[in-house]
Amino acid sequence: MTLAQLPYPSLQIQKNSSTPSRQQSTKKQLLQPMLEKAGDAIAVLDPSGNLLEVNAAACHLFGRSRRTLVNKSLSTFIKPALDITFDVNQASLNGQLTVVCPKGIERHVEYTLTHNVYPQVHLVIFRDLTQRQAQAEEALRWQRQRVELFSEVTLKIRQSLQLKEILRATVTEVQRILRTDRVLIYQVLADGTGKPISESVLPAYPAILGMEFPEEVFPKDYQTLYAQGRVRAIADVHSPNAGLADCLVEFVKQFDIQSKLIVPILQNLNPPQPLSQDSPQNQLWGLLIAHQCSGPRTWADFELELMQQLADQISIAIAQAQLLETLEERVAARTAQLQQMNDSLQQEINDRMQAEAALRQSEEQLRLITNALPVLIAYVDHQQKYRFNNKAYEDWLNQRPTDIQGSHIQQVWGEACYLRMQPSVEAALNGAVVTYENEVMVHDGSTRSVNVTYIPHLDEQQTVQGFFALTSDISDRKAIERMKDEFIAVVSHELRTPLTSMHSALKILATGRLGTLSVDGQQMLEIADDNTERLVRLVNNVLDLQRIESGEVTMDKQAHNAADLMIQAMEAMQPMAGQQGVTISAYPKDILIWADADYIVQTLTNLLSNAIKFSLTDGVVTLTIEVRPTPEDKTKEEVLFQVCDQGQGIPADRLENIFQRFYQVDSSDSRKKGGTGLGLAICRKIIEQHEGTIWAQSTLGAGSIFSFTLPTLKR
Amino acid sequence: MEVKRVLIIDDEESIQTVVRFGISMAAGWDVLTASSGPQGIDTAQSELIDVILLDVMMPEMDGIATFHALKTYPKTEEIPVIFLTAKAQTSEKNHFNDLGVSGVITKPFNSLDLPSQISKILHWELQS
Repeated sequence: MTLAQLPYPSLQIQKNSSTPSRQQSTKKQLLQPMLEKAGDAIAVLDPSGNLLEVNAAACHLFGRSRRTLVNKSLSTFIKPALDITFDVNQASLNGQLTVVCPKGIERHVEYTLTHNVYPQVHLVIFRDLTQRQAQAEEALRWQRQRVELFSEVTLKIRQSLQLKEILRATVTEVQRILRTDRVLIYQVLADGTGKPISESVLPAYPAILGMEFPEEVFPKDYQTLYAQGRVRAIADVHSPNAGLADCLVEFVKQFDIQSKLIVPILQNLNPPQPLSQDSPQNQLWGLLIAHQCSGPRTWADFELELMQQLADQISIAIAQAQLLETLEERVAARTAQLQQMNDSLQQEINDRMQAEAALRQSEEQLRLITNALPVLIAYVDHQQKYRFNNKAYEDWLNQRPTDIQGSHIQQVWGEACYLRMQPSVEAALNGAVVTYENEVMVHDGSTRSVNVTYIPHLDEQQTVQGFFALTSDISDRKAIERMKDEFIAVVSHELRTPLTSMHSALKILATGRLGTLSVDGQQMLEIADDNTERLVRLVNNVLDLQRIESGEVTMDKQAHNAADLMIQAMEAMQPMAGQQGVTISAYPKDILIWADADYIVQTLTNLLSNAIKFSLTDGVVTLTIEVRPTPEDKTKEEVLFQVCDQGQGIPADRLENIFQRFYQVDSSDSRKKGGTGLGLAICRKIIEQHEGTIWAQSTLGAGSIFSFTLPTLKR
Repeated sequence: MEVKRVLIIDDEESIQTVVRFGISMAAGWDVLTASSGPQGIDTAQSELIDVILLDVMMPEMDGIATFHALKTYPKTEEIPVIFLTAKAQTSEKNHFNDLGVSGVITKPFNSLDLPSQISKILHWELQS
């Protein structure tokens, strides 16, 4: 319905109709209030342009009363003047003009002129453009403010990594810009419960920040809907159209909520991964909620959009914050790890320092000890160069250990001496422990006898790195040994020569051819003769033993038939056996042995002599030989010699002692038998030199068995 | 068996005496004596000698030097020489044998046994 189609109700002048109908009057009554209440300013003109009628809006627009306006020319109140000339081709005319109000106020208006709504009556409708422009400007300003807000909030979100700060800024700004009563961010927790974690609310309304809401308030299926992107704008919670359950209406009432706008804050569970086939899955993190408490509110689309965009930005901020949190956690974990590493490194450094200190101390102690020893102590590397020398080197060679270190052995000891050392040095570097004796020249030109031991130093791979050399001065011992040897050599010659004279002289006297002695004289001569012979044996035995023990004697080993040696020994002892009335039963066998024949015969005669001496008259002494497996290793063989007698026997506790020098079972017996006390000691030495063993077994009253073994000769 | 002529060279006079008594009593051989190497060489050159008993250990000229000297003279080089020694080592005996001596008799010995020992070494037929 347009005004142009309506008859003008208050029109008084009707030139084309003489009698107004009753119907028209009713219409006027109906139209009058509507005209009055219309938002647009309406004026009715006569063809001259005078105002016939104006409505309230027009009075308001012109800023004048109806009385002031009616019957005045419209041109009085407007500029430029309005041409109201009727144009047949145009039913209505549009345009803009300025209304001049009192006090010089001007209003820019849009008008629509409709000619002849009634005959000779024109209708003008005005719309205030000034107000509309202001409204448009306001709208623009709002829009700009919203854009600014959005970019400001976005910027804050982008710049800040503090989620709490972002959320606080968001609710504050949204509340300000939407001019709403409460804005909050509600976080949905994993168990379905939730709570507002950020809120901006006008002081007039209750704060709900931090309150915990049970799952029932926001059930799972709702959560699912929101997770799918649902947005809720409820203009009036009480309206049946809102679709809120009664209980929920009751619930929100306590917070004075009349109207609300809810957008989800979503979280992308699967951040885009190039290799992942999974589509991103959104999870509801929380809600951005605006409440109007003062009354119902219809939410504009842009408000919804703003809320949604901000919710998206919050999502980004959450993702960033979570990333940051993860990063911080990683950094913290890594820091802790580094700290721990640092601590253990420090501990290791401390341990090492302690170990080094202990090592230095131990080295110092070792140096003190080695320097205090009169022995030369050195370490020689695989290039035969000295790496360590104790102070004794300085005393001997008048060279400081630091000067010796790094020098070759030959450089230190000279070529001649080195030639004697070389085989042992090489053996040590081949991994053998070597002990040898040498003569070295010291700095004053004197010679010292030394005993040298080389101990190879092996690393973990059992490779020889060098050797430790211990050199001790045995000059004194060597001098004593030489003196002893010289003494014995002198004794050997100097005793034997007079003994020869005495022995021969006594034998010659005993022939009686130089005159006959009395019986007593004869007895004295025999005593002298016997003891001279005993002295000869003693001297021989002492010499033998000394020579064997000193190593001066080397056994001249050759292959011999054992039978020959047995016969030789038996024949040698036959006269003595005959004198004693003792029979020697020998059972020789042709067995090859590797031995020094003289010494084996000496051993056999010695054992036979003892056996004869301790046999009773008519006794039998048996000499046997056999090859038997060695007790240690049955696969090997040895030659066993045995001399058995039927004498009085030897007590078991003395069986080992009899091989000691000058040990006799019965000292009174020895005098009677004319022994020297060295025979068995010599036998043992001889057998040991042949790598055999000697021992005795005995049964008191039944006799003794003296046995010795020799290694068999490998054919 | 004819009477042998034995020369004993020893710096020890008592040895000379017991050797002379023992040999003559046991076998009736003639025994000539000398107290040093040079004296013994002189005697050996001037007399007819069947065997020389030579003491190894003598001052100045020892038995080995005397033995070498005896081998240089045509008159004495063929005379068998038996060493008298206090050293009874096998190795020493071998050493003496290597020198070319006929034998070694070790001190102390019984001079009455000397004729039989000499005869055994030189493979003489000894009349009992």
